[in-house]
Amino acid sequence: MEYVSPEGLRLDGRRPMEMRQIRGEIGVVDKADGSAVFEMGNTKVIAAVYGPREVPNRSQQMNDRALVRCEYTMANFSTGDRMRKPKGDRRSTEISLVIRQTMEACIMTHLMPRTQIDIFVQVLQADGGKSRCLIAAVGTRSACINAATLALSDAGIPMRDLVTSCSAGYLNSTPLLDLNYVEDSAGGADVTLGIMPKLDKVTLLQMDAKLPLDIFENVMQLAIEGCKAVATYIRQVLLENTKQLEYRRGTHGQSPAYSAFKVLFSAARRFIAVLMKFDGGYIMETVFDEGSRLKIKHIQSSIPNQRAVFRF
Amino acid sequence: MAGKGGATSSTYAPSPTTQKTKSLIFGNNDVDWVRSDGREFHQCRPAFFKTGAVNCASGSAYAEFGNTKVIVSVFGPRESKKAMMYSDIGRLNCDVSYTTFATPVRGQGLDHKEFSSMLHKALEGAIILDTFPKTTVDVFALVLESGGSDFPVIISCASLALADAGIMMYDLVASVSVSCLGKNLVIDPVLEEESYQDGSLMLTCMPSRYEVTQLTITGEWSTPKLNEGMQICLDACAKLAEIMRACLKGTNSTLEES
Amino acid sequence: MKLIISEMVGLSIGEKHFIQGGIAQDIRSDGRKRLTPRPINVKTGVISQANGSARVRMGATDVIASVKAELGRPTALQPDKGKVFINVDCSPTAAPMFEGRGGEELSAELSVALRHCLLGGKSGSGLSSLLAIVSQWNVFESNCRVKIWVPLFVSGAGIELSSLVVVEGKICWDLYIDGLVVSSDGNLLDALGAAIKAALSNTGIPRVNVAAGASGDEQPEVDVSDEEFLQFDTSKVPVIVTLTKVGKHYIVDATSEEESQMSSAVSISVNRQGHICGLTKRGGAGLDPSIILDMVSVAKTVSEQLINTLDSQIAAAEAGEDES
Repeated sequence: MEYVSPEGLRLDGRRPMEMRQIRGEIGVVDKADGSAVFEMGNTKVIAAVYGPREVPNRSQQMNDRALVRCEYTMANFSTGDRMRKPKGDRRSTEISLVIRQTMEACIMTHLMPRTQIDIFVQVLQADGGKSRCLIAAVGTRSACINAATLALSDAGIPMRDLVTSCSAGYLNSTPLLDLNYVEDSAGGADVTLGIMPKLDKVTLLQMDAKLPLDIFENVMQLAIEGCKAVATYIRQVLLENTKQLEYRRGTHGQSPAYSAFKVLFSAARRFIAVLMKFDGGYIMETVFDEGSRLKIKHIQSSIPNQRAVFRF
Repeated sequence: MAGKGGATSSTYAPSPTTQKTKSLIFGNNDVDWVRSDGREFHQCRPAFFKTGAVNCASGSAYAEFGNTKVIVSVFGPRESKKAMMYSDIGRLNCDVSYTTFATPVRGQGLDHKEFSSMLHKALEGAIILDTFPKTTVDVFALVLESGGSDFPVIISCASLALADAGIMMYDLVASVSVSCLGKNLVIDPVLEEESYQDGSLMLTCMPSRYEVTQLTITGEWSTPKLNEGMQICLDACAKLAEIMRACLKGTNSTLEES
Repeated sequence: MKLIISEMVGLSIGEKHFIQGGIAQDIRSDGRKRLTPRPINVKTGVISQANGSARVRMGATDVIASVKAELGRPTALQPDKGKVFINVDCSPTAAPMFEGRGGEELSAELSVALRHCLLGGKSGSGLSSLLAIVSQWNVFESNCRVKIWVPLFVSGAGIELSSLVVVEGKICWDLYIDGLVVSSDGNLLDALGAAIKAALSNTGIPRVNVAAGASGDEQPEVDVSDEEFLQFDTSKVPVIVTLTKVGKHYIVDATSEEESQMSSAVSISVNRQGHICGLTKRGGAGLDPSIILDMVSVAKTVSEQLINTLDSQIAAAEAGEDES
C-alpha cells in the first residue's frame, strides 16, 4: 500500500514532516489539583493530577521522595467499535507504567518526601476510525504524556522540565512524523519518543519493528523535532494560562467586579470571614458568580481556597 | 417445608409453563380479567414464613409466596476485615444470588447484580447500626425458585432473618410490589404478569414507624395512580408485617393475606 | 456509598453545621436557594466517533454521554423490539477513589438508577416514540454483521423499542448509551440524565436499506447508508430531578459537600407532561410516605424549569455545532 504519494503527500493530506493538529487546554476538571485536555488529531485525552497528598497506603510511602502513580483508562466509547473490555487489562497497565516512568523522570520527587502524586489519564477518543481498539491504544501514548505534562504544570508540581512526546515512523522509505492510525497499523517501524526539550534529555523511547541504525537516527531526529514543536505549543498554552490568571488577579487590567473583591480580600480578610458567617449567602454568591471561574486557589496564594476561608 | 392455607394452587406445583401470549391474558383495554392463579387484583399470594431455616447461621428465614421461594441467612456480627477503616457504626454486607434452577430457563436469573446493593439500601435504614460498631453483618439471600415479585420477597425475608439473628432493628421491613397492567394495578405480580407489565412500583417500608426505606418506580405514572399504588403497597406491607411478626412469635405461621 | 462519600469530602464539624444551617435557612453555601439548580452548560457532538454525544457541566460536575448504534438481532422473546443498553463509568480523573475497581460500585448504582429512570415499562414513558420514522425502510442488498447479545434488560421501553426494529425477528438497532463521569461535584444522576437526553437529540441513526427476497430463516442483507441519518425526537425524554434531604428540608442539585450530609435522596424522572417515568430512592434513612408524595410534586415543578433550560441549551448547542 502506498502511504506517501509521489507528490509527497500522506493519506490524510499531510506532508511527511507535518504533525496532526494539536490543541491543549488547562483546567478542565474543577475538582482536581491540576488537569488538562490534549488533542492530537482525532485523539482526545483528559489528564487529572491529584497531589502531592498524604499517602493513603502507608506501606507504599517513601521517606526520601514522592510516590508517583498513574492510571490509564479508555472510555468505552473512545474507539470506533464500542469497547467491552474490563478495566485494567494488560495494555492499559503497560501504558500506565510507561506514563508513570516518563513523568517520574521529570518530577522533582525529592522535594516532596512522604507524599503521593496521582496522575489519571482518561482517553475520550482514540484515533482508529471504525476499527478495533487494540492498536489505537498505542497511538494515544504521546497524547497522554503531553496531557499529563500540562496537568502537572497546572497542579504546580515542581518539574525539571516539561516532558513532551511525539511519534515518528518509517514507511515507503520516508520518515514520517506523528503517525495516524492507518500508518500505525501498517506494520512499519514506530518510534515513540519523550524528551525534556530544555535539558535535551530523552525520558521515553520505544520502538517496535526493526530499522537500520542510520535510518533510526533520522527517524529519531524527526521525532525530536516533533517533540520540540509540541513543547513550544505547550509552553504557549501555559503562558496563555498564566496571563489569564494574571488578568484575573487584577495585575493585568481590572474587571470591576473583581477589583472590588480584591479590595475586600486584601484589606480585611478577617472581616470577610465574619461577614460570611453572618451573611454567608451574599458574599459567597458574589464569590461564586465570578468565583467558579475565578479559581481562588490560583489567585489568592494567601487564601489557599474558599474552604480555608470558611474554616475560620 | 410446611402446609399451606388457602384454596389457591398447591405450593409444590411446578411453576406454570404455559406460553400464553399477551392477548390470552388480557387486552390492553380490558378492565377485568382473571389472574392466572385466580386472585383478585388487590389480593396478595398466600405468604408463608419460617425462621431458622439454616442451622449454622446466626439467623435465617425461609419465605414462600406462591412459587417464589427464598432463603436468607444472616451471619455475624463478626469482626470487620482488617483492611477496612475504623467505623463507629456497624457495616452491612448483602448478597443476592439465584440458584441455577430458579428460573424456567436454566441459569437465567444470574444477572441481578444490582439486587445486592438495593437490598443493602432497603435494610440499612431499619437496622440500628450503632449497636455493633467495628463489626459486619452478612446477609446472604438465595432465591430457590423465582415466581415473580422476587425482590420484595427477598427484602421481607431478609428482615425476618435479621430479627431471627437478634440484630437490633427499629422495625421489621416489609416490601410489596405492584405492576401496572393496562389500566389496572395488580399487586404481588407473578412472573408472567411481570413480563407484561407496563410499569412497576416496589415499596419497602417499616409499617409501625410508617417510614419508607426503599421505593422504586419504573414506567410512566400519573400522580393519582402513584398515590393509589403507594397506598395499596403501604396497606399490604402493614398486613405482611403482621404475618412476619406472627411468625417470629412462633404462633400460627401459615396465614393468608388479602 | 454514603459512608464513602462523607469520608471522601472530609468536612469538619463546623463546616457540617454551616451547610446544614444554611439549608435550614434557605441559603446554601454557594448562595443558592434550596430549589435553585446550578447553571447548566451543554455541549453536543464532543465525541466524533459516536452516533451522538454530549457533555454536560453543572458547576464542577462534568459528565459525557455518548450514544452508539449497532445492528444486532432481537431476542427470541421479543422479536419486534430493539435493545437499549445504559452503562456508566466513573473515570478516576473525577476522584482518586475511583481508581482501579474503586468506581465500580458507584458506576453500577448510577447505571441501575438511570435504567430505572429512563427505561420504564412497556407502554413506554420518556423515550417512547423516539424512532417513529425508522421503521419505514426500503429494500436493498448488501452485507450485514449479526451478533447475538445477552440483553441487560428486555422489557424496558422508556425508548420505544419496537421502533428500533429493522426486520422483525432478525435485525434491530442496539443503542449503547455510555456515560462517563469526568469530574464529580454531586448530583451525578441528574447530570447524566441531562447528558443522555442531549446526546440522544444529537444522535443520527443511519438509514438502512433491507434486501428483498430473504425468506424463512435466512438473515436478510442490509445496506447501511453513510449519508442519510434519522434523528430522534427527544421532546418526550424525561429529565431526572434528585431531591436530597438534609435535615428537615430537601434541596435540588446538591454539591458533593451537601450530599455528604444527606439522610436520604429521591431521584425522580419526569417527562414534559408531568408524568413520573421512574423513581429511585437512595440513602438509608426512611421517609414518611407523605414526604415522598410531596417530593414528587416539588420535582414536577422543578423539572418544568429544568426541561426548558435544557431544551434551550440543547438547541443552542446544536445550532453552535452546525455553524462550526
